[in-house]
Amino acid sequence: MDFVQHIINGLLQGCILALVGLGFSLVWGILNIINLAHAAFIMLAAYLTYFLWSLVGIDPFVTLPVTMAVLFILGYGLQRYVINLVMGASILTTFLLTFGFESLLVNLALRLFSADTRQSRPSYANASLNLGELHLPYTQLGAVVVALLLTYLLYLFLDHTRIGSSIRAVGQDRVAARLMGIDIGRTYALTFGIGAALAAASGTLLSTTSGFAPNGFGTFNVLAFSVVVLGGLGSIPGALLGGLVFGLVYEFGGTYVLSQRDVVIFAILILVLVVRPTGLLGREGYR
Amino acid sequence: MSGIGTVNGEQFGRRLRLWLPGLIASVALAACSAPATTSAPPTAAAAAAAAAKPTSAAGANASPAVAGASATSTGFDGTLVFGAPISLTGSTAKEGGLTRDGYDLWRDTYNKAGGITVGGKHYKIETKYYDDASNAQQSATLAEKLIKEDKVNFLLGPYGTSSTLQVSTVAEKNKMPMIEGNGAAESIFSQGYKYTFGVLSPAQNYLRGVIDLALLMEPKPATIAVLSADDPFSVEVADAAKTYAEQKGLQVVYYQKYPNASTDLRAPLTETKAKSPDLFLNSGHLQESVAIMQQSKELGFSPKGMGFSVGPSIPDFESTLKSDSNFVLGGTQWTAALKYQGDDQFKTPAAYNDLYKQTFNYEPAYQSADATVSGVAFVKAIETAGSIEPDKVRDAIAKLNFMSFYGQIKFDERGINVTKPMAVEQWQNGKRVTVFPADVAEAKAMWPMTPWSAR
Repeated sequence: MDFVQHIINGLLQGCILALVGLGFSLVWGILNIINLAHAAFIMLAAYLTYFLWSLVGIDPFVTLPVTMAVLFILGYGLQRYVINLVMGASILTTFLLTFGFESLLVNLALRLFSADTRQSRPSYANASLNLGELHLPYTQLGAVVVALLLTYLLYLFLDHTRIGSSIRAVGQDRVAARLMGIDIGRTYALTFGIGAALAAASGTLLSTTSGFAPNGFGTFNVLAFSVVVLGGLGSIPGALLGGLVFGLVYEFGGTYVLSQRDVVIFAILILVLVVRPTGLLGREGYR
Repeated sequence: MSGIGTVNGEQFGRRLRLWLPGLIASVALAACSAPATTSAPPTAAAAAAAAAKPTSAAGANASPAVAGASATSTGFDGTLVFGAPISLTGSTAKEGGLTRDGYDLWRDTYNKAGGITVGGKHYKIETKYYDDASNAQQSATLAEKLIKEDKVNFLLGPYGTSSTLQVSTVAEKNKMPMIEGNGAAESIFSQGYKYTFGVLSPAQNYLRGVIDLALLMEPKPATIAVLSADDPFSVEVADAAKTYAEQKGLQVVYYQKYPNASTDLRAPLTETKAKSPDLFLNSGHLQESVAIMQQSKELGFSPKGMGFSVGPSIPDFESTLKSDSNFVLGGTQWTAALKYQGDDQFKTPAAYNDLYKQTFNYEPAYQSADATVSGVAFVKAIETAGSIEPDKVRDAIAKLNFMSFYGQIKFDERGINVTKPMAVEQWQNGKRVTVFPADVAEAKAMWPMTPWSAR
């Protein structure tokens, strides 16, 4: 029974990690930006969710479209009016720029919201659906539904819409895409906005499952990075698979070699990179 | 066809030249993660840095209740500067903030009462803090800067064992006395250093009280599980708790360490639950204690009692977990319920609690009292020494023996305070209540914990 519970823990957490990695993967794959502000977007959404819940009493799951919309606008504006200005420069420039945003946002949050720990706690927070000996937390179950739904919607959007096609086209060949009449700057902004909105979704969900403070979010950049590298850059199913594999490895690492759990996960990451440099589902030369 | 996407190379370059300096400046500012929190004249850069970091200098406190303190400070003959690197950002920003507030309250209260008197001269107390971003190496570098560049008179401790350990080496090298209240691992005091003194009870005592209390309860616990973070302080606490539990006849059914600051602890909790221990102990930090409670509820893990070394005494524990904080026990260095009659400006724990709450608008955690009493001990030592010479003050600190609002302050030859006992607190229906030792207990401990399924 414990074994089944471990698998459940790993898969549930893995789905949320997949969502954390999804927006990161999109932005990296299409824009070639390693967005270090990703974790700060997650943080902003978590606070927005928390304040809407604690001050106005709106259920976190209802808040989801709101935080996604707000972060979409922020992400769109940031890319369109700031990051686009340095898109021609080397990858290190955007790396440094997004790192700056991260520091700025986290320290502003620390200043405005203090280092107090918060959590959106509707009545069902941390409560579980109990099936005999097995426990499935409601918020995590909800998070899984949202994560899978958003992953599927993103897949549909990219593969079956005109805008989606133009985003992929820009990712594959910028020059050719421009010659075909695609507005590169706007497409970049749109993609970055979607990435931020996906980060917002994970932030909203995370604000109900655990306590948070501005400083705790940095690890999500590392997690997103690992999930994307593991699953394969620029691949939507890759992000999902990466998240699930990460979740399971982390859970079983914590079961059998708790003190060395980080060693296990990163050893596997290196192994995957050696055997399959493109990640589990990544395609060679996608960029 | 408009917008940035169609900008040609030349236009792009021009815009870039226009924007880039500003961008780089803002990035550099934000990335510079250890700006001084000093009282330097407000230049544009300093103002921007101040916007991102909580700062504090003598008399310039953000809290209106203590802002008036500097008004009475005109009649001083001199100034003594106490420097401290503190974690105002990073993983222990919360605890660092409690430490800073504790120092601030000491400074303002003593300045209001005339400062420090040495040979008929009244010295004003000034504090100088730097943010070490919860990084121990950074803490040591900043301590060096405080001593060498800022020429502070004395050092107060940073937050946390790892930082304190690093700073103690700097203090020793520079023969600079340091009194600290937020580094409790004995590894700090086993180096044979002469200039570092800790006012708090050593790490091994943190969870001893919880075990003693549990053994007095009915039904009596027979088995225990210990889950610990892997930093030196937490490990020292956990090892001592394990050894003590075994001495007392408890069977240790689970003992594991997790990488410091892990907040997904479902795997070890699932394992622990399978062993069904009567008493569960965690040695770690606030974030982990909150995560353990949340995930124990999710997994339906309900031992008879749950105790933590750090977490429950910090107000966030209850404000985050609400009623799920019920029944939780925490070892504590200090509580407002203790009955000391202190020979200092704060007098009693209750009076300290009131003044603190009035000043900062929240109840002090023991981390704040740890910090305040470090300053109080400095005043005592300097006044006893009748000198501000570091070596004379150091010798006076070593000989200190007085009762404070925080308890007896007396250092052994290693520099740690072994005379002061620790207490145990429990969350009971949204209130933090002292339940052990019996002579100061405000209420009986609630035991056993009601299973999650019945709450």
